[in-house]
Amino acid sequence: MSTLQGDLLHTVETGSISAGRRFWGHAALWLSAAWLVASFVLQASHDLGWTEIGFQTWRPVLYAYFIWAVFLCVTRVVIYGESGKKALFVLPAALFVVSMVVFPLLFALWVGFSDWNLASPTGRQFNGIDNLRHMLTDPFYLNALINMVFYTLAIVVEYAIAFGLALLLNQEIVARKFWRVTFLLPLMLSPVAVSWMVGKSMLETRFGPVARLARWLGWENPSFFGDPLTAKITIMLMDAWTFIPFMMIMLLAGLQSLSREVLEAAEVDGATKWQRFWEVIFPLMLPVSVTAVMIRIIFKLKLADIIITVTAGGPGGATDSVTSFIYREYRDRSNVGYGTLLALVYLVIIVVGMTGLMNLADRIVKRMTGRL
Amino acid sequence: MKVEIYDALMRRQASRRDILRGTASAAALMGVSTALGGLPTAAFAADDVRAQILKIPGVGKGSPTDADWQKVGELCLGPTMANVKKGEFAGVELTFMGLNNQNLHNFLFRGFLKPWEAYTGAKINWIDLAQADYNARLQQSIATGTVDFDILEMGAPFEGDTAGRGLLDEMPAWVDKQIESDDLVAYLKPPVGTWGGKKYRVTIDGDCHTFAYRKDYFGEGSVTGMAKPPKTWQEVNAATKAVMGKKDPLTGQPAYGYLDPLKGWGGFGFYFLENRATAYVKYPGDPAWLFDPDNMKPLVNNPGWVQAIQDVMDLIAAKAYPADQINADPGTTAFSQFLAGTGSMLTWWGDVGSSARTSDTSVVGDVVAFGINPGSSKVYNRKTGKWEEKYNEAPNMAYLGWGVYVTKRVSSDEKKRKAAWSAAAHLGGKDISLWTSAYPSGFQPYRQSNFNYDEWQKAGYDRAYVENYLGSNADSYNHKNAAIEPRIPGIFQYYSVAEDELAKGYAGKYKSAQETADAIAAAWEKITDQIGRDSQLKLYRASLGLS
Repeated sequence: MSTLQGDLLHTVETGSISAGRRFWGHAALWLSAAWLVASFVLQASHDLGWTEIGFQTWRPVLYAYFIWAVFLCVTRVVIYGESGKKALFVLPAALFVVSMVVFPLLFALWVGFSDWNLASPTGRQFNGIDNLRHMLTDPFYLNALINMVFYTLAIVVEYAIAFGLALLLNQEIVARKFWRVTFLLPLMLSPVAVSWMVGKSMLETRFGPVARLARWLGWENPSFFGDPLTAKITIMLMDAWTFIPFMMIMLLAGLQSLSREVLEAAEVDGATKWQRFWEVIFPLMLPVSVTAVMIRIIFKLKLADIIITVTAGGPGGATDSVTSFIYREYRDRSNVGYGTLLALVYLVIIVVGMTGLMNLADRIVKRMTGRL
Repeated sequence: MKVEIYDALMRRQASRRDILRGTASAAALMGVSTALGGLPTAAFAADDVRAQILKIPGVGKGSPTDADWQKVGELCLGPTMANVKKGEFAGVELTFMGLNNQNLHNFLFRGFLKPWEAYTGAKINWIDLAQADYNARLQQSIATGTVDFDILEMGAPFEGDTAGRGLLDEMPAWVDKQIESDDLVAYLKPPVGTWGGKKYRVTIDGDCHTFAYRKDYFGEGSVTGMAKPPKTWQEVNAATKAVMGKKDPLTGQPAYGYLDPLKGWGGFGFYFLENRATAYVKYPGDPAWLFDPDNMKPLVNNPGWVQAIQDVMDLIAAKAYPADQINADPGTTAFSQFLAGTGSMLTWWGDVGSSARTSDTSVVGDVVAFGINPGSSKVYNRKTGKWEEKYNEAPNMAYLGWGVYVTKRVSSDEKKRKAAWSAAAHLGGKDISLWTSAYPSGFQPYRQSNFNYDEWQKAGYDRAYVENYLGSNADSYNHKNAAIEPRIPGIFQYYSVAEDELAKGYAGKYKSAQETADAIAAAWEKITDQIGRDSQLKLYRASLGLS
């Protein structure tokens, strides 16, 4: 049974596609592909110094790619007619993803395994796994990774506070809408603004209101970034202040979607407030909680702006995050190859870590909700 | 003629008869075209212009505003008008990349160049960068071949990165004449600003660090107990320790001594350790103090440098700094601390001197004094490997001043090229430099004519103050043992990594000053190898004037 006979509902084109049309479709596709490959090979050879013929920049290769992409889409219809149009629903998006994600990733790999200092007159040089070796012995990177463990662990406390606030805002309290908006305000602020308003102004040691309050309370020389532990805690607090509202709003949405019947049944059965929370609400909220915590971890792993603005990683690297260290390595030292490799390794750590964490969370949720 | 134009000219005391005269009305029309009130008919009498600009806005009358910058730019248009016809650059668009530090630099340039744009017809687009982002932006543009600016505000240390790679346009002879480059102080004359014998730079700033101190901390019965301000780093440390636990005589807050910035500043923070170190390691007659000119080995871990690091560590251990000093960068020490009344001693670029009396945020204008950077009672001779007990001073010519450069992007278009150089020359003019020296601008004096104390006195400055402030600059510029920075590629990479290692050392993560210095030296060796030891050595030797 042909497509025409069996799928009339989804087919509006009835005519068959001529051999000539197919030929020209294939020809256009293969010609554009050949042009793309040829220009790539030519430019690569030119860049590697194998040939003197080539373009001044890679831009013509990019244009060849665009033309090939357009021909690829158009020829789907030319060659396959109606069924080719179906491909057009997905193909542009797929090509966009390839352009914006896959190519840059491949380029990053190419750069990451290079010795490329922007000040070097010799430019980029392939250096195998030297950057990887350097990374394993780099105390600054290791220190930043350890800091990230502490920063991530702070999410447990953030989650507890966010859950508490969500429970509070889920009650019939006075001016509930006002409080909801108020608690959301920190999230609406840019972390850089938070850095200046809180880190550089309110926590300023001489005139900042928090420092004045601390002095009034008896702390003679208040210093919020003076020693490693205090600095780390202050950064954690600023970051938490910004992002707790994010978890809070997710949890609040979860609480509002809980079935009232279940909660009322627990109440009728004589459960105490704590039992209602721990035995009913908390397990029911676990899927939402896991989602909120996972997204928060992803945000946390990217922590950089507050650190860069307020402490620049100091004192002595105590507040450095992986991202702020990479930023410094890349920006201040123009060490593009090594900086890129560090970013790639961090990406792998995040992907593997998050996958493992999600599997673990899934098991925990299943086990806990299975009791209900 | 529009009413406001007539009113403006009347305010400038131009007579109706003058206005009706062809030449005068042309000048007047040009002057008012920027709606700033027009030019006086005799605006270009040089002395008159200099006297007029020094009254904008007037010493003690608050920080200058954009309107003031535009007025100054307009009054200083004379040299431009001698070389460029009105509307000659109509249709030309230029891109200018520079800094936005303290809302100065590019902000000033915009004001200065607005009348220039109105007169020439050119349009300037701006790329504003924070100090800490500058190095990265410039290096990325160079390395990726994406130089997207025609005019560049840049320090001489980057000449190796730019001129050395053929990215700059050679300065035309008429520009050299217009900016009267003979007037530059000696150390800013070639080879600074040149590469391979060609000139590339319109100097707009002279750089050296000078020593600023509070007079009320020294003298009979003072909090330091010292009769005179310190002359050596040993005395600086002693004074810093002496004021611990005492009250600041001006503010009543806790008294503090020398303000070391302990946090990095995109590489620029390293200059402040250099201030201490040059007194110990810049041996008279030996130009090398950062690297060994024979093999490019770092000198940063020799006993002299280690002593400088140790001095800072001693003050940290004694808790002699304000709380959170570990989190204070040079911008904080100068503008949030010293000028705001915290601390009594500071080394910084000269704009602290002009800001002390003219900035709205300064409270120390009446009690501040200046000198060249402190010296040392001993100096380390790297060639003999021994300390010598003798007085040594070596002011740090940190950064060699900002300049304006024109990139090769304009070389193929003669009209655009002339426009770019004309804009650069306007910013580097002799008269405009007097104003940038006298008012908050981010720039310090850089011409011999900037040291004419009579002009400053006429402008309303206290003669004794200005002689003291400008004298400290002049003494540093003319010092025989001045420490001159090498113009080698990637110099800020060395400084940046040193800042990271120093931060670790100051936070106690290394066991000693020596270990901290060794870590910096090891990191510098890696950078040298990465950039290329041979090429670095060659350029380093050239910058020291060695064959």
